[in-house]
Amino acid sequence: MNMDFITLGGELLGVIQFGDIVLYLTPLNLFLFAVLLGFTFLIAISKTETQVEATMHHLDNTEVKVSPKEFKQRRFLSIICGIASAGAMITGDLFNFTLFMALVGILNIGIVSAVKQTSVLNSAFNYGLIAMMCSLPLFGGAALILASTGTLSLEVLSQMPASPMVVFGAILMLIGILGESGVAPFFASKAEMFRTAGSPFIVIIHLSSLFIIVRAVEILLLVLW
Amino acid sequence: MIMLPSFVPDAFISMYLPAIYAGLIIGFIATMAIAMKKEELHILILTDLVGLAMIFVVSAVGTDLAEALILPGLVVELAETLAISEILITREMRKIEQDPRKNLTKSSSIFPQPFSLDMEIMTTAPNFIALVLIGYGIFLTGFTGGAVAGGGIVLYALSKKARGLPVLMVDGIAGVSGIAWCLWIIGFLMFFVTPQYWLLSLFLAACGLLLKVASKVGLIGLLMREDIDKE
Repeated sequence: MNMDFITLGGELLGVIQFGDIVLYLTPLNLFLFAVLLGFTFLIAISKTETQVEATMHHLDNTEVKVSPKEFKQRRFLSIICGIASAGAMITGDLFNFTLFMALVGILNIGIVSAVKQTSVLNSAFNYGLIAMMCSLPLFGGAALILASTGTLSLEVLSQMPASPMVVFGAILMLIGILGESGVAPFFASKAEMFRTAGSPFIVIIHLSSLFIIVRAVEILLLVLW
Repeated sequence: MIMLPSFVPDAFISMYLPAIYAGLIIGFIATMAIAMKKEELHILILTDLVGLAMIFVVSAVGTDLAEALILPGLVVELAETLAISEILITREMRKIEQDPRKNLTKSSSIFPQPFSLDMEIMTTAPNFIALVLIGYGIFLTGFTGGAVAGGGIVLYALSKKARGLPVLMVDGIAGVSGIAWCLWIIGFLMFFVTPQYWLLSLFLAACGLLLKVASKVGLIGLLMREDIDKE
């Protein structure tokens, strides 16, 4: 372990080595990890909301409920999504982060895949297309960084000077992460995905992308340091 | 900074940058095509092309670490394609449910019109091609061979018009697959326990893998045909 390993998340608390894969613990990572696990636990024990919609031209309300089968499927996918995001928070490997990112992207689609509203399905379809297209820059960027440095470990990468290839790879990865988590230029379709019943499970879609962006900034800065 | 083992030929190293550019250009062309197309099914298929370009870029690195990126990348692509097509189908079903009359006049892009072709070559040629493919697959052995032989079985299954697959046959294929799995594991174990019999264990593993992949792909084909024929 080198002493000059610069972390952005505060003081380095420790390193866990699994051969090639090195986990490193900083206050920021641990905090994000703990918050996501706590939220996942809350999701696991909670029940879904029931939306009430006003009916047009009548003095009547309609309930939008989630069927038990759909409820179980959604809860399962949300828990997996929470665990995957938590994994992305704590990982010390560029490759693992990429995989967790892609997994979160698929699970986000999966959580809303069984809803009844056509508009939600429409936006889920559009988001899925963007996520699939952005796997090219995401994996491609990781591969470029691997090709030009020979490693995917963040610990080693942070000590290397950034060559032009690494900068290009990092930019590609940034585009990939933006699309895969559906933020900034791609948020239009993802915002529509929330407009359905089943609140606590839907919220993990939002939360996972927020947390992953925070972590992605740290990782990209470490790579480019 | 490039760290390369000395035995890597220069030709391979010089191939890296063109491969990266080719992958990125393919991705660009595919996204342009997506921007121009309006049919959703076409967009889905074209999106898969972008995924293939991703495999291109990753595999250009050519190390075992890159291989570790390719396999999950492929799986992710497959899973995303399946998830999105599932969403597309759910949405179309929902649309038909909401307005059943709408679909009577205009056919949707997901369920194409059934067509029947009555040609002699459709019944005789697949048998021969399937036989050749299975034979070639056995000759290849291993994962590739399994895929080729499985392709042959799928072709045979798809070309046959007989309906209603007996349960016994599906069970039988699953059984063969299980035995093949045992062969593979025994071969793998023998590699470590008795390295001097490496050739035997190699063949055990290769034949196991061949049977395994072939039966799996074949089973997928048979189930698929069942699904299509169900109406």
